[in-house]
Amino acid sequence: MSIDWLSAYLIYALFTVAGTVGLAQLLHLQMGLAGIGNFGIVGFFGLGMYAWGVFQVRIPWPDALGDWGSFFLSLVMAVIVSGLAGLLIGWVIADLEGDGVLVGTLGFATIMYSLALSEKRWTGGAEGMAVPDPLRTFNWGVKPMSLFWLGVMILLVVGITYYVARVHRSPYGRLLIAVGQNEPLARSLGKPTFRTKLILFALGSAGMGLVGAVFGVMNHFIRPTEIGIEVTLAAMVGLVMGGSARVWGAIVGVLLTAGLFDIVVQIYLPLPDSWYQITLPVVREIVFGAMLILVLLWRPLGVLGDMRRDKLVERLGSG
Amino acid sequence: MLDTKGICSGYHGVTVIKSLDLSVGHEVFAVLGANGAGKTTLLATLARLLPLTEGELWFAGEDISRVSPWVSAAKGIGYVPQEKGIFPGLTVLENLFVGAMIGTRSRDERLDEVIALFPDIGARRNQLAGTLSGGESRMVACGRALMQDPKLLLLDEPTAGLSPKYVDNFFDKIREIHQNRGVSIILAEQNATKALEVADRVMVLSLGEASEVMDAADVTTDKLKEGYRI
Ligand SMILES: Nc1ncnc2c1ncn2[C@@H]1O[C@H](COP(=O)(O)OP(=O)(O)OP(=O)(O)O)[C@@H](O)[C@H]1O
Ligand SMILES: [Mg+2]
Repeated sequence: MSIDWLSAYLIYALFTVAGTVGLAQLLHLQMGLAGIGNFGIVGFFGLGMYAWGVFQVRIPWPDALGDWGSFFLSLVMAVIVSGLAGLLIGWVIADLEGDGVLVGTLGFATIMYSLALSEKRWTGGAEGMAVPDPLRTFNWGVKPMSLFWLGVMILLVVGITYYVARVHRSPYGRLLIAVGQNEPLARSLGKPTFRTKLILFALGSAGMGLVGAVFGVMNHFIRPTEIGIEVTLAAMVGLVMGGSARVWGAIVGVLLTAGLFDIVVQIYLPLPDSWYQITLPVVREIVFGAMLILVLLWRPLGVLGDMRRDKLVERLGSG
Repeated sequence: MLDTKGICSGYHGVTVIKSLDLSVGHEVFAVLGANGAGKTTLLATLARLLPLTEGELWFAGEDISRVSPWVSAAKGIGYVPQEKGIFPGLTVLENLFVGAMIGTRSRDERLDEVIALFPDIGARRNQLAGTLSGGESRMVACGRALMQDPKLLLLDEPTAGLSPKYVDNFFDKIREIHQNRGVSIILAEQNATKALEVADRVMVLSLGEASEVMDAADVTTDKLKEGYRI
């Protein structure tokens, strides 16, 4: 089977879009259900990516583990480190109001970025660090390796989506919504809401860290430019676009934003080559910002709308 | 069942409840008082939503002075606040279900009982709670607390601002909840006449200080008005 039609860029763009869906789904639980606006997504994503890289490259793993042994152990460590960071940040912001949460989470992402730049001994600073791909021993060539990691990312996102769908219909999901809507009242429901928030943040951050780590693996290279605010924005715009009422919201939203822009516009529109370096990234942020405003104005519940609200209108409509 | 020993509580250094001793058994206990008397503050304190600055709070033989609200709820204290007693973005049914996260009986069994008690909310089970009328949301809030299978129910002015017909109906329900389900009730009320009809004993709060506790049968609204200016 020929895979020539799959350009390296297309694979990479699909990979980015899939990863953004994963982040948006995890944000769905935090922001969509529990009402906690996590503006530090990229911090957890970046921590996972760097933690994986640092463990993989800087730790002198015993030879007996082999490439895959050290790879998986580093991945596990990345997930644990991101989860613990989520626990810590969750603990810091659990009792704060909206603006405190914004500052806390945004601050965390900024700290992660600064650490990536400053801790050169571990991270390689601004130049970044090369990380080995455990697939290299198979001598598959670049494209099949990328396809493999695209598949891994898609599986990961399917897993995350399955988890989100489960939570949506579970008592735990209802508790998250209750906490988001009326926290004082939710405290008297007989379940520890503080712990609920901590678990939500720890699990969500561990997931974001895992998405970040897989990003690092696919890129073979980790550098601070990968963990800028646009990662957070893309997930957030996608989620707001699709709405949080349905599990499909984040998927549809990200496809309509990052998907449309990074895949359809960049690959299939005949744009002058000189645009790609500087113009397109800027246009992308402007278009995303404008879309966000339009959605908030006309469809504040996302393009899919609010399933619950629709149900009500139906009932009222039928008498 | 519930005992307080010299409890004080309030907001940011302002003491509202001043050294209150109270002992509520298996009964309907009414707390009367004018606006600002401290009824809501007292009930929120008993529900552990406000910290005690002094004193001790005992429930069913356990010291709950320092526990979190979810712990006291899990031990059997159900709380229906004066305002914001529902989750507006959840449907009526979902509001009731979040009440059933604790306890051992089956959720559907409890739901059937609550809907039998409040048929009106059964008919609106899929409506968003945020779109209910004032009276309907009070019923949902009360139903949600009952889904927790409480031993003690704290009701903060459940009928304020509602029509007379609804008020009568709700007070009947309070009696029914107490008699048929064996739930003790502490009821904060301004409506002395209705409270005296339904309560076994009453107490009047004014500026956070409590009167002696009286048997409801021994007092009349006029006497309370005269004696305590409520
Ligand atoms: N969050 C708060 N911060 C500061 N003071 C408060 C707060 N809530 C209530 N108070 C004050 O505490 C006192 C008692 O208020 P509370 O709400 O307990 O009265 P209430 O008896 O429930 O009145 P009502 O019948 O109007 O509901 C009032 O003087 C009120 O101004
Ligand atoms: Mg009050």
